[in-house]
Amino acid sequence: MHPVAEVVLDASAPPSEPGGRQPLPSPSSPRNGGSPSAPGSLLAWLRYTALVPALIPAGIIVAIVWTITYASRLTSLPGFFSFNWAPTSSWGIGVFVVGSFMTAVPALFFSMLVGLGLAVASTTYLPRLAASLLDPFVDLLAGIPSVIYGIWGYVVIGPYFGLTLNPWLSAHLQFLPWFHATKAAPINTLGLGLPLAIFVLTLMALPITTLLIRDSLRAVPRELWESGLALGATRWEVLRRVAFPYSRRGIMSAAFLGFGRAFGETVAVAMLIGSTAQIPPSFYGTGYTMAAAMFELIDSAYTSAQWLSVLTEMAIVLLAISLLVNVAGRRLVISLSTTEVAGV
Amino acid sequence: MSGEGPVGNGPILSVDHLTVTAKGKTLLDDISLDFASNSLTAVVGPSGCGKTTLVRSLNRMTELTPGLRVKGAVNYLGQNIYDRSVNPVLVRRRIGMVFQRPTVFPNSIYENAAFGLRLVHEEEGKIDIAVRHALTRAGLWDEVKDDLERPALSLSGGQQQRLCIARALAVRPRVLLLDEPTSALDPGSTQRLEETMEHLKEEMVLVLVTHNVGQAARVSDRVAFLHTGHLVEMGETEEILERPKDPLTQQFITGRFP
Repeated sequence: MHPVAEVVLDASAPPSEPGGRQPLPSPSSPRNGGSPSAPGSLLAWLRYTALVPALIPAGIIVAIVWTITYASRLTSLPGFFSFNWAPTSSWGIGVFVVGSFMTAVPALFFSMLVGLGLAVASTTYLPRLAASLLDPFVDLLAGIPSVIYGIWGYVVIGPYFGLTLNPWLSAHLQFLPWFHATKAAPINTLGLGLPLAIFVLTLMALPITTLLIRDSLRAVPRELWESGLALGATRWEVLRRVAFPYSRRGIMSAAFLGFGRAFGETVAVAMLIGSTAQIPPSFYGTGYTMAAAMFELIDSAYTSAQWLSVLTEMAIVLLAISLLVNVAGRRLVISLSTTEVAGV
Repeated sequence: MSGEGPVGNGPILSVDHLTVTAKGKTLLDDISLDFASNSLTAVVGPSGCGKTTLVRSLNRMTELTPGLRVKGAVNYLGQNIYDRSVNPVLVRRRIGMVFQRPTVFPNSIYENAAFGLRLVHEEEGKIDIAVRHALTRAGLWDEVKDDLERPALSLSGGQQQRLCIARALAVRPRVLLLDEPTSALDPGSTQRLEETMEHLKEEMVLVLVTHNVGQAARVSDRVAFLHTGHLVEMGETEEILERPKDPLTQQFITGRFP
């Protein structure tokens, strides 16, 4: 290491006076002076290793897209962008895309709502001891494998939904057309369908949203809290007028990451959604999501080129939507931070 | 906290046998003192002497630190603010506070100054007037009047601190507590803030915590010297700084303190 470092120092630093003081290398010298004057030096090349961490995620994405595209060879599929799923004459994935949103968006909504509640309780209202008991409990939810959520949902929660909750909801929400079960769209007694999938997805996204909101609320400086209280605000008023605006970036991030979790979740949804290639005829009906469809129909992949293509192309669509939401979320979070500090 | 006028001729704010402990450690030991009206009282002393604890106990901010126990009384207009019937939220509306570092909220200059008024749902027109008045008293109006919608965080540190003072003034408190408000500011901003304090003390009770004897000499009328949680002595600024009775005070003001 030592000789290499010396070479670079010599190359980049101005020649020192013989017998004079050794000039101190300026902090920028390895960066600026390195490349033109010491092209062959090992250290100059080693600099580029700093790019590796940035390249890894990009590389992974490129590799996944390339492999999937290669596998599917982008066979043109009749009716791919339609709502008509009737293999092998029409391959519309519309119902799966809509199903993914119909489960992920409400699940995100509920998990943000509950997450905000839990985070506010733990950071603001609960005594320290109670918060220290609540926090690990919520965090533990993240460590439960999704298949456990699936079995639990199927065996324990499903029958309750099918026999009690869904009929009750249907009876009380008669005035809303789609929320009222009919003979053509009855409630199945197993409880499989949208409500069950949304419920379990809410639980699965909950640790992510709670944790991120909690951390961003904890990052609100103590002085800001005290200033709010010193002006005669209640804790709720400080929370609403100071802490939420201060931590809105973290709260937005929680929403986008929670969406990613709910949108891509596979096994638990496949077990609970009812696996019917349709847009649920009522709120209590069964449906399908992209992730669940790929998982359950993988057996057919090598039965024909079209089956292989439809599954892999669905994967590309799922990946594209997930990445798009992620990138849009990042941009939104960044734009929030710049207007907040610099202000235009 | 209903009475607004001074009760008899008593002081607006006084401390009566105040003892504050935290987990068996005594932070303030049996402190009694009066804060004179229309004047600035400086609370000075070496680090850890309890001066911040003292001002924080004057508007029940001590309650925000778990484990602190307060005994004795702090009387505001003759009423003990630690009385069970007293709502701390109302206490803090009458006794404002400014902290060591500027603590502006992440919104506009205007909304920062209007914060306390929005809490009591003041009318828009009255808020406009109060914001302008508070910013003027805090010596910030001329610098920000053209762009009140700018984010408060874009102001300089000294401007932010004056905005914090304006924010506290907007709710028209009778007492303003300043906990080392210039410790994070450059000399120019410090000087401006001291000028602001000189104006403010003519109309309200100011309590200034400072570790800087020079600042106490420049702006205060009275000085209270604290050491290890005890009130060593208190009196007119000149008296204390030039002819201290206690050798501890003598040591502190001549800078011979660890």
